[in-house]
Amino acid sequence: MAQTYRNMLVDPMVDNNPITLQVLGICSALAVTSSLQVAFVMAIAVTLVTGFSSMFISVIRSQIPGSIRIIVQMIIIASLVIVVDQVLKAYAYEISKTLSVFVGLIITNCIVMGRAEAFAMKNPPFESFIDGVGNGLGYGLILMLVGFIRELFGSGSLFGFTILETVNNGGWYVPNGLLLLPPSAFFVIGLLIWAFRTWKPGQVEAREYRIRAVEAH
Amino acid sequence: MGLRSFFDRIEPDFVKGGKYERFFPIYEMVESFLFTPKTVTTAAPHARSYVDMKRIMTYVVIATVPCILFGLYNTGLQTNMAIQQHGAEGWRAAIVEFLGVGFNPDNPLANMFHGLLYFLPIYLVTLAAGGAWEVLFATVRRHEVNEGFLVTSMLYTLILPASTPLWQVALGISFGVVIGKEVFGGTGKNFLNPALVGRAFLYFAYPAQMSGDTIWTPVDGFSGATALSVTASEGVAALPSYGITWWDAFIGTIQGSMGETSTVACLIGLAFLLTTRIANYRMVVGCLAGMIGFSWLLNMIGSDTNPAFATPWYWHLVIGGYAFGLVFMVTEPVSGSHTNLGRYIYGALIGFMVVMIRVLNPAFPEGMMLAILFGNVFAPLIDYFVVQANIRRRARRNA
Amino acid sequence: MPDIDKQEQGQEQNQGPDFTPEMNPPVREEAPSRAETIRKGPIRRFLDTPADNTAKTVTVALLLCLVASMVVSAAAVSLRPLQEKNAALDKQVNIVQVAGLYEDGVDVAEVFRSFEPHVLELATGAFTDRFDPYQFDDRAAAEDMTLSAPLDDDPAGIRRQAEYVTVYLLRDESGALDKVILPVYGYGLWSTLYGFIAVEEDGNTIYGLQFYEHAETPGLGAEVDNPRWKALWRDKKLRDGEGNLAITVAKTPPPAGRDHFVDALSGATLTSRGVDNLVRFWMSERGFEPFLERVRAGEL
Repeated sequence: MAQTYRNMLVDPMVDNNPITLQVLGICSALAVTSSLQVAFVMAIAVTLVTGFSSMFISVIRSQIPGSIRIIVQMIIIASLVIVVDQVLKAYAYEISKTLSVFVGLIITNCIVMGRAEAFAMKNPPFESFIDGVGNGLGYGLILMLVGFIRELFGSGSLFGFTILETVNNGGWYVPNGLLLLPPSAFFVIGLLIWAFRTWKPGQVEAREYRIRAVEAH
Repeated sequence: MGLRSFFDRIEPDFVKGGKYERFFPIYEMVESFLFTPKTVTTAAPHARSYVDMKRIMTYVVIATVPCILFGLYNTGLQTNMAIQQHGAEGWRAAIVEFLGVGFNPDNPLANMFHGLLYFLPIYLVTLAAGGAWEVLFATVRRHEVNEGFLVTSMLYTLILPASTPLWQVALGISFGVVIGKEVFGGTGKNFLNPALVGRAFLYFAYPAQMSGDTIWTPVDGFSGATALSVTASEGVAALPSYGITWWDAFIGTIQGSMGETSTVACLIGLAFLLTTRIANYRMVVGCLAGMIGFSWLLNMIGSDTNPAFATPWYWHLVIGGYAFGLVFMVTEPVSGSHTNLGRYIYGALIGFMVVMIRVLNPAFPEGMMLAILFGNVFAPLIDYFVVQANIRRRARRNA
Repeated sequence: MPDIDKQEQGQEQNQGPDFTPEMNPPVREEAPSRAETIRKGPIRRFLDTPADNTAKTVTVALLLCLVASMVVSAAAVSLRPLQEKNAALDKQVNIVQVAGLYEDGVDVAEVFRSFEPHVLELATGAFTDRFDPYQFDDRAAAEDMTLSAPLDDDPAGIRRQAEYVTVYLLRDESGALDKVILPVYGYGLWSTLYGFIAVEEDGNTIYGLQFYEHAETPGLGAEVDNPRWKALWRDKKLRDGEGNLAITVAKTPPPAGRDHFVDALSGATLTSRGVDNLVRFWMSERGFEPFLERVRAGEL
């Protein structure tokens, strides 16, 4: 089974990444990636929530009535999110202020619900936990990549440590203000998806239609 | 004819099966730039008349000539006037002094020459950086390098402030070409104007170098508000106290991006584009109507706190990038609407948005760039509804 | 491939017992001992009921809500003291910072003890005992219909102004007044900026200005947080020799001279104007001037 678990953990990082392949969880990826530290905390929070919610849902999966299935999943996810939010407020107040509503919005993150519904409802607890953690890490990986690019070129620092001294502080680097604005994450994620699909052509979706070239006269 | 025979000799190496087959796009680009192409365009955009794309693009570049010439003059004029107060420094001033041209703002040729020293580096960097991407994508995707880039590079250069650092010029055009055009499949498949995408990128990425009062004239220590920013903050009535009359703004001897200050130069270009039927008059009419209508409405409503409400339409026409955008960007065939009714709506939407952004948004005094990009995004939707309405009408008629 | 087989087997084994009760009654009959059957009876029976049974649906929902609410409230209650401490600390850090007493690793709560909070009546410039300064909530007061009044002329863009605000006094070892820390806020380009301004004991010299909450454009307006810009405020004078309010944030120095001039943020005209408006509003007669007059007179 060890091989399987490893696959379950590694698979969502690249081959089946929730952001670049399934394009889920984009909203929070735009909002929390302007600094690496915030992205890191968010990644951990999502990983914990997906992992444990999948596990708990899986434990009681055979007892969950089909008619209230989604609500039950939501209650479990929401409770975990609130706990995470409370813990952050108690132990990482500064970061929880920057994350603000986005911790609460993990509840609506499609990745968490998606894993609960697609995997945890059909699989045993430990597998579900690994699957949830794997997907959380896949999400976190992209968050960190985007955060890395945005913080390095947007503010000239990484995890708050100055790497490129900015002009405003007497250095040489002119920070790119666009990267500090949320829409820039669209470009960065788009370019990442491009890079992933060039690397792994299997991820490219089939074309819905093809523009036909005009025949030469 | 030596050149022709040279091309004929090397051609077999580049066509299918030749040893440089991969580099056919580069061969094709150079060859068709120098000679009339033998082949017809096989991919969109398709010219809907006897003119081919190469001619369209060439005509647009010709239409920008008045703007280029006036831009050179005005850039030099503003710089030389500022130098009178603040003194000259930098390599450009050294060249001017070395050649003995002088910094006299009353000498048009001296102004043109000094302006050229600002225009040329930006244009060359644009061509080099953007051209490199064009060639790279053409080579990888094995399609032809398109004449469209000649227009893009020229428009992009004209809408930049003269003081733009050259590395930002390169970064902006790279973003414009790659994100604005190539990711969608290249010329003809882009739904945004690449030159504007590049400009918008710079505007949001480096606002300190792209907005404010100190950037329009490239002389250290000089500060001069654009007519647009004065209008936004203090109203049109305050313009005379900055020494700006309507005629100044119309002729174009004011602060602004290199090629877009002169309304009259833009209108000459417009006349050329309309008579050669390169530009579609419906977009122009729509855009004017939208701008005049909405600014008139705001004049009527009035505002105690926002002086920009009172800006009359004839001022909107001559300040900022309105005229330039109207002539060269609203009329751009690829990113605009393709149906005739859609073109009126598309133009009107842009005209409305320009005034909306200029007057009602506190953060962005210049609305033309954002309004055109906004219009570009809506153009396919407008076309869709126009086509659907046509289908419904015909279905009813034949029912 | 073998991995997938194993996984599927695992699922079947695991799901087996869940599906069997009706199809495979012997499982229930063959329970090991009588005592266990009796003890586990109801739970077992409940677990074996099909999940879509109405009674079971309701029970599962109730049970789940109960457990979830217990977990959530346990977390909230047990962590509340820490959170409140954090929230209080957050404000204290800003006050300590604007007074220039903040260093990395300093015990903020300890340093903050040297500050004297007072609730101030703005109109008279006198302290009031009506409220406990440790409990008084400035922002709630500004919303409270009985404690605040709407503004007609509103340069700072705050709409309603409270009659009472909390100010902090800092005294030196001898007990003489060193600085006063005054809360200021007002509208910039996109958001209301909340901050503190520290004024020296002469009631006219600015020691520092710091915003702790705003949502201005990153890289432009948000440069109000840049230490280099904040340092510009040090030693600026609020009023000129004739007592007129002269402090301003502008692109060019005012006629009153550089002592009253803070250079505007480049590229952030509207944020700078917002800061200018809010500082001038709060330092005027409608803001802290009555109080600062008392500071200047040495009454504190």
